[in-house]
Amino acid sequence: MLVLAFDTATDVATSALLEDAEVLGERASVAKTLLEDVDALLRQASARPADIEALVVGTGPGSFTSTRIGLAVARGLALALDVAGAGVSTLDALAAGAEGALPVIDARRREVFVPGAGAVAPEDLDVAGRLCVGDGALRYRDVLEAKGAAIPPDDDIRHLPRASLHARLVTAYGRVDEIEPIYARAPDARRWRG
Amino acid sequence: MSTLILGIETSCDETAAAVVEADGVVQSSVVSSQADLHARYGGVVPEIASRRHLELVAPVVRAALEDAGVALDDVDRVGVTQGPGLVGALLVGLSAAKAIAWARGLPLVPVDHLRGHVATLYLAPDPLDPPFTCLLASGGHTLLLSVREREGYEVLGSTLDDAAGEAFDKGARLLGLGYPGGAEIDRLARDGDPEAYSFPVARVAGLDLSFSGLKTALLHAVRGLTETDLAARRADLAASYQRAIVRALAGRLRAAVERTGHETVAVVGGVAANSELRAALPDARFAPLELCTDNAAMIASAARFARAVEPPGYLALDAYPSAPL
Ligand SMILES: Nc1ncnc2c1ncn2[C@@H]1O[C@H](COP(=O)(O)OP(=O)(O)OP(=O)(O)O)[C@@H](O)[C@H]1O
Ligand SMILES: [Mg+2]
Repeated sequence: MLVLAFDTATDVATSALLEDAEVLGERASVAKTLLEDVDALLRQASARPADIEALVVGTGPGSFTSTRIGLAVARGLALALDVAGAGVSTLDALAAGAEGALPVIDARRREVFVPGAGAVAPEDLDVAGRLCVGDGALRYRDVLEAKGAAIPPDDDIRHLPRASLHARLVTAYGRVDEIEPIYARAPDARRWRG
Repeated sequence: MSTLILGIETSCDETAAAVVEADGVVQSSVVSSQADLHARYGGVVPEIASRRHLELVAPVVRAALEDAGVALDDVDRVGVTQGPGLVGALLVGLSAAKAIAWARGLPLVPVDHLRGHVATLYLAPDPLDPPFTCLLASGGHTLLLSVREREGYEVLGSTLDDAAGEAFDKGARLLGLGYPGGAEIDRLARDGDPEAYSFPVARVAGLDLSFSGLKTALLHAVRGLTETDLAARRADLAASYQRAIVRALAGRLRAAVERTGHETVAVVGGVAANSELRAALPDARFAPLELCTDNAAMIASAARFARAVEPPGYLALDAYPSAPL
């Protein structure tokens, strides 16, 4: 089964094309150019969009807008190709790439997303003796290391969500329209145009 | 069957999709308004709007195809609003549209929302031929335009501060009316005396307009009133406020006609739904009532006259927040 997986929740948009468990290709860019990567992945595999049989999409948490870009692309693709899909949390995918690690995603406003806790201040994390990965771990390296966390070097691949890992976590496919983003934070209720 | 265009619009608080034929016949136009969702905030909340667009975009596109009795196989190109508007909201429609077009190998037409409002006039059954002088009055813009060709227009004047629709919305808030305010003021004004208050609209050079002073004048008028007095005078205030906006718009439009020499006059955008404005300009062409506020039929219509981008040329397209004036 040809599976297209992607995640745009964080600053690095990841995408991968898999034939069952075999990774045919994996790319990274930014949310707004995700489809360029997808197009390149398919060309590289000599496949056409219509060959895609299932979608896997990262559901965040991360930036609201960029998480939505991935989900909107998934909804558009599912509508046009009539394929099923699965959502995988960006935190779960990060954890899958770094055994035993705590995934930490930058939530802006001096907060981070960690599993099961919504947005929290990095100062409030209990990370003594833990391995921490993700862009939140990098941004708050000083704070977390002072609390006893171990954080791999900046260029360590474990800090990046990788769509091939998302694909491996899928257990069942369903309707793409029903895959919900994980916002993990209430919307800012400020009005537009005063 | 003639060429079919699928239009998608998510620039503000309406999630909309439409199927329009190349000759301008609207086969379907589905608009899912979020107004109720935003009413309790007295205006559009961007993040709430964007979240709702994501929930609605696929069902709304499916409904538009179904209403038109066509399948995606029958669609020849996809037109989508690229800007101006709320970036987070625009990106939902743009991302979905890019994905649909790419998956089907279709060309994509990025559409300017304001050109979309004007392109309402080019829809069947009675498409308007340029040249004409046009007033575009909406929630975010107030423009006087010289339209010589369907592909574009020249901006002759615009508001220096609030848009006309925004003036209606802010006025409605001061009067304790709901959102969106234009339709509420329009309704209430029918029971009021438009001469009860004299609200001046600032005189601005050239063909520009300004509505912020008007809003302040209403604020002063309302501030002196008790709840009971306000209730008693609300209709008069609404009628007088609306009269001031309509006078300013109609006056500027007449001045624009003198400048362009295009005798044919048209009005588009949400404020074109205003009954007093429609009565004040009996010879003008108005967008059909249901197509004054945001919809996707107008976006599909504009896509008939804008450049189509072949795949993969549009895969990196980004949204733009404000008008490139
Ligand atoms: N009957 C009416 N009288 C006056 N104003 C009205 C009426 N109906 C709607 N409006 C106003 O129209 C505006 C909405 O129009 P529209 O949907 O064209 O704007 P928008 O899309 O939010 O802004 P823009 O097109 O500039 O991005 C609102 O400000 C609303 O109050
Ligand atoms: Mg509009």
